[in-house]
Amino acid sequence: MKKHTRISIFMRKHRIWILIIMTVIATFYFFPILWMFITSIRPTEDIYKFPPTIIPGALTLDNYIYVITKMRGFGRYFLNSVVVTSSTVLIVVVSSAMGGYAFGMRRFKGQNLLFMAIISVLTIPYIMYLIPIYIMEDKLGLRNTWWGLILPYVALNLPWGLLIMRGAFSTIPLDIRDAAVIDGCGEFQMWFKVLLPIVKPAIAATTIITFVFAWQEYLFASTLMTRNEWQTLPVGVVWIRDELQTLVYGRIGAMVILSIIPVFILFVVFRRFFIEGLREGMIK
Amino acid sequence: MKESKITLFIFLAPTLFFVLVFIAYPIVYSAYLSLSEFNYASDPSPRFIGFKGYIDTILHDSMFHTALINQFKFAIPYFIITFLGSLILAILINELKHGASLFQVIFYLPMIIPLSLVGITFAWLLFPDVGIFNHILRRLGVENWNIDWYGDPKTALNSLVVARSWKMIGFTLIILLSGLQGLPKDIREAAKVDGANFFQEIWHIVLPNLKPYLYISGIWILINAMKTFELIAVVTQGGPGMATLTLYYYSWKLAFERLDMGRASQVAYITAGLIILLSWGLNRLFKTEIASRA
Repeated sequence: MKKHTRISIFMRKHRIWILIIMTVIATFYFFPILWMFITSIRPTEDIYKFPPTIIPGALTLDNYIYVITKMRGFGRYFLNSVVVTSSTVLIVVVSSAMGGYAFGMRRFKGQNLLFMAIISVLTIPYIMYLIPIYIMEDKLGLRNTWWGLILPYVALNLPWGLLIMRGAFSTIPLDIRDAAVIDGCGEFQMWFKVLLPIVKPAIAATTIITFVFAWQEYLFASTLMTRNEWQTLPVGVVWIRDELQTLVYGRIGAMVILSIIPVFILFVVFRRFFIEGLREGMIK
Repeated sequence: MKESKITLFIFLAPTLFFVLVFIAYPIVYSAYLSLSEFNYASDPSPRFIGFKGYIDTILHDSMFHTALINQFKFAIPYFIITFLGSLILAILINELKHGASLFQVIFYLPMIIPLSLVGITFAWLLFPDVGIFNHILRRLGVENWNIDWYGDPKTALNSLVVARSWKMIGFTLIILLSGLQGLPKDIREAAKVDGANFFQEIWHIVLPNLKPYLYISGIWILINAMKTFELIAVVTQGGPGMATLTLYYYSWKLAFERLDMGRASQVAYITAGLIILLSWGLNRLFKTEIASRA
């Protein structure tokens, strides 16, 4: 007992300092996002006042109203991002739930070798895929279409999904599977009705991680989608910035904030699955 | 249960399709391209030239040399900042009883922001004249301070490092925090009872036990350090001059501005080779460390 009190007094003395230090660091860390937000709700003349002021005086939603009602391009980028990202998520979740079962619960020759080969995809510079995919899509006419982005996105995100799903399936006791089969289920029925409900947390993790990654992808999107109306948000907002030049950082700020809202909501709601899934994927 | 080969194949089919068409085939094809001469705009098909292209790139391409040097000028500070930054944050957060999850959210938040938008945000923060960072520096007493952080060749690359680290730290923080939380409580308490102060305890007890997690973080940072593209494409386009031209961005420029697919693939393969080599080096470093302690 005595030992315990001594340790906690020792720690308590330090904790208050750590708390203060952390608060300072966190404030600095959060500042770039905060500053973009502040910029987005100020009138343009305040943004370009010299010297700049940190505490905002007049506040306005004009930048947001302008971006939403007047900028057609922005709406189109948003639609492209939603379609491409949600299709990618859907295909990755289904494919990795199927593949994860095969890798996690079935035994076959070359299983581990094949799995390791798929996982090593994550470490390779993506440009090695991009060059041949560009040539391939150019010949097949897939550039500047939604499928042109969805297909490579699925391929790039599938390894993470498989890693998470295999982990989840391999913890299920084989008895559960065998019992279901004895009850007269076929293998697909058993997979769908018995196993999928058990791996729900892994499905959630795969969904959120794939969503976050696909939503922010820039390299493939900027290279394969050369026509403006097919660009996604990360590329389109940059395109608008280059067109408008520097005079309207308020509107750019509004676009940045609007672009991250969907993924921010998902992050807040499913944070636990996101972190768990990343941890699972990164440490293995 | 009777396991049939047909169902196994069906379960694996989507995975195999995507991996074969969009991963395996591209790797093989770009390897072939790297041994060829192929200008996508003018040549009807690649012409095989063997390793001549590699030799030419490595020995005679001065832009490649610049990109290689810049790559390391970027990667070294990036590695140090991200590694130490996330380690210090992880140790501090792990000490907290209250508010730890709030702090975690703040440090994880940049992970969900697209890198291109991170680039736009930092370009605005570091803007000359009306940019807030220069303003704060002026207020702190550096008169007439007005650096064009991304426009000056002396500061451009390091300013990119800051933005990239800002986004990456959350990822390695996850790894290190889960390592710290997995440490048995009693070994740390034993050290305290022995009279070790906080820093001695971290150095002698925590870090040696955290080694596998430090290694994993190191590998991820390394891979990321060599794959720098978005920020450069959005903020500096390799400039000013060639001050921020890195391997990855150079490879992209070759492929999609000059349409020189052969040389672009060579640079991409050299980058991949460097990643493997450096990962191996890091592995050796940690292995010998562990061995010498035992």
